[in-house]
Amino acid sequence: MGAGAVRAGVNAIDAQHVELTYADGTEAVRDVSMEIPEGEFFGFLGANGAGKTTTIKVLVTLLQPTSGSVTVNGHDVEAEPRAVRESIGYMAQETSIDGELTARENVRFACEAYGVSADGRAERIDELLDLVDLADVADKQAKDFSGGMKKRLDVATALVHEPPIVFLDEPTTGLDPKARNRLWEYFERINERGTTVFLTTQYLEEADQLCDRLSVIRGGEIVASGSPDELKARVGGAVLDVEFADADDETLERAREVAADAGVFEDADIEVSDGGLSVRSASARRHGTDLLVALNEAGFSVTGFNVRDPTLDDVFLAITGDGLDDEASADDEAAEVAE
Amino acid sequence: MSTESQQRASGNGFARDTWINLKRWVVKTTRNPFVMTVSLLNPIIFLVLFTEVFGQITGGAISQSLGTDASYVTYLVPAIVVQTSLIAATTSGIGLVEDIESGMFEKVLVSPMHRGAVFLGKSLSEVLRIVIQTSIILVLGYVLLYVDTGASFHEYVATGWLGLLGVVAVGVVFSVWFTAFSNVMALVTRDQESTIIAVNLLQFPLLFLSSAFLPLDILPGWVQTVAALNPITYGVDAARALMFGQDVMTVVEVTSFGGMWDTLVPALAVLAALDLVLGAVAVHFLNQASSSSVQ
Repeated sequence: MGAGAVRAGVNAIDAQHVELTYADGTEAVRDVSMEIPEGEFFGFLGANGAGKTTTIKVLVTLLQPTSGSVTVNGHDVEAEPRAVRESIGYMAQETSIDGELTARENVRFACEAYGVSADGRAERIDELLDLVDLADVADKQAKDFSGGMKKRLDVATALVHEPPIVFLDEPTTGLDPKARNRLWEYFERINERGTTVFLTTQYLEEADQLCDRLSVIRGGEIVASGSPDELKARVGGAVLDVEFADADDETLERAREVAADAGVFEDADIEVSDGGLSVRSASARRHGTDLLVALNEAGFSVTGFNVRDPTLDDVFLAITGDGLDDEASADDEAAEVAE
Repeated sequence: MSTESQQRASGNGFARDTWINLKRWVVKTTRNPFVMTVSLLNPIIFLVLFTEVFGQITGGAISQSLGTDASYVTYLVPAIVVQTSLIAATTSGIGLVEDIESGMFEKVLVSPMHRGAVFLGKSLSEVLRIVIQTSIILVLGYVLLYVDTGASFHEYVATGWLGLLGVVAVGVVFSVWFTAFSNVMALVTRDQESTIIAVNLLQFPLLFLSSAFLPLDILPGWVQTVAALNPITYGVDAARALMFGQDVMTVVEVTSFGGMWDTLVPALAVLAALDLVLGAVAVHFLNQASSSSVQ
C-alpha cells in the first residue's frame, strides 16, 4: 500500500449508532457501532435476515442510514458518497455481472468505471482474469458461465482499482472448495498488502481462517465482537460430538434429554447436531466418558465419540441461543445456495 | 505494489462516464442482432403491406387532404419512422429491468461514476439505434417508391437532405417521452414481461388512433378527438410536414409561421413539453430507485 494512503488515527470504517428502518417499518439495523482500523480483516457474521447485507449497503452508500453516522476511508457516506465509492470495492451477495459482455469486457468496464488509468490496463485485466481462473474463457460471453465462474468474475471486477477497502458480501457462496481456497489466498494477499477487508459469510470456517476480528449480528444488533480466539474462549471448554447408530430425530431428542438429565456436567449446553449430539462444557474433557456411560445405560448405541476445541459454529450457537431459529435460517440459506 | 496509487480511482469527468456507459450499451445491442432485426421487421412489414394493400385506394383521400398529388409511401413513411422509434424506446425500460435483475444497476450505483452520465450514456445508445433504424426505414421507403413510380428523391422528400435529417431528428425527439415512460414502467413493475406488455399494449391503439395511416378528416369524429390528444399525431405530422414541405397538421390550426412551420413548431412544442414532463417523472423514479434499497 502506498505510504500516502495511511493516515494515523483514521479508521478505515467508523460507524456510530447506525440505525436503518425500511419504509415498511422494519428495523433492519439497530444501533450498530464499529471501528475497523486500516488493514484489518474484519468478519461480520449473522443468520439470514440478521442485518448483514443491510449494514454493508449502508457502508457502501447504497442505503442512507436512518440515523447515526458512518465514515469510510475518512469520508462521510452521506456527505461525500463519491469519495467513499472511489475508496472501496464492493461485491454484492447476488452475483453482479453483465451476461451479454465477455469476461474481459466486464472487467474492462469496471476498470473504466473506476478510472483505472489506461497504462497497464490490459495487463491488469489479464492478471485479474488469471487470478480467478477465467483466462481461457476471457472472450466468451459471461451468460454461458456456471454460477461459480460468474462469482469469480464478479470478484475480479470488484478489485480492479485495488481499493484500500474491500466489502465482500458472502463472496464464496456457491463456489467449489478449490475455487474458495484460491479466493481465500487472494483475500489474504490483498489484506497483507494493507487492504482493509470487510467480509460477511455464512461459512464460519471462512471467518475463522481469514478474520482478525469478528462481530456477530442478530436481529439488527451486534451481540458479540472479538478475535476468533476470544470468541471461542467465550464458549468455554471443549465440545463433545457423539454419534449414534440410529440417528433419527426422535432418538436424538431422547438422547439429548438423557444427556441433559444425567447430571454429568454442571454447565453443559447440549445441541442436536447432524446425526448426533454436540455438548459444550468447560469440563467436557474430564467427564466425557461419564456421559458415554450414561448414554449406554439408557440403551443408546454410540458409534462415534470425539472431543475437540470449539469452532466458530459452536460460538455462533452459544451466542445466538437456542438452535431452532438458526436451524430454520440455516435451511433457508441452504435453499438459497441451491438455487 | 508500486503502481497501486496510480491505479486507484481518480474519478472520471462527466463526459468520460457518459462515453463508458454509451460504449457498454452499444456493445450489448450488437450482441443481439436478432432483437435489432426483429424490432425493425414489424415496421418494415407495416410499410410494405400498407403501401401495397392500401396504396391504391388512399390516393384520393390523401390528395384531397394535402391538396397535392402524393404517393402513399411518402405519406406512410413518417408514421413508420415514428413507429420504429416507439418500438426502440420500448426496449429502454427492458434494458433497465435486465440491469436491475443482473445486479449491474447496483454495481454501477456503487461505482464513482456520475449517475446522470450513467443514464445519459444508456439513452444515447438508444438514440444511436433510433437514428440507424429510422435511416433504414427512410431508405427502404425510397426504394419502394422508386420501384413503384420511378419518382425522384425530391419527389420523395420535398425538403431534401436537410429535411431527411429533420425526419430522423423528429424520430429522436419523439422517442424521449416513450423512453421515459418505459423506464418508469420498468421501475414500477421491476419485471421484464410486465414492462413489455405495458408498453406493447399501448402501441397499436396509439398508432391507429392518430394521423399515422390515414388523413384524420376521413376518420370518425371520436377518432379525430383522440388523435388530437395522441402524441403519435404530433410526431407523425412533424415528420410528414418535412417530407411534403407543407403544413399537414389538422388537429391544431396554426397559421403564424407559414408553410410547414405551421406544423413543425406546434408539433415539436407539444413533443418537447411531453418529453420534459415524462423525463422529469422518470428522473424522479430513477433517483428514488438509486437512493433507496435496490432489491
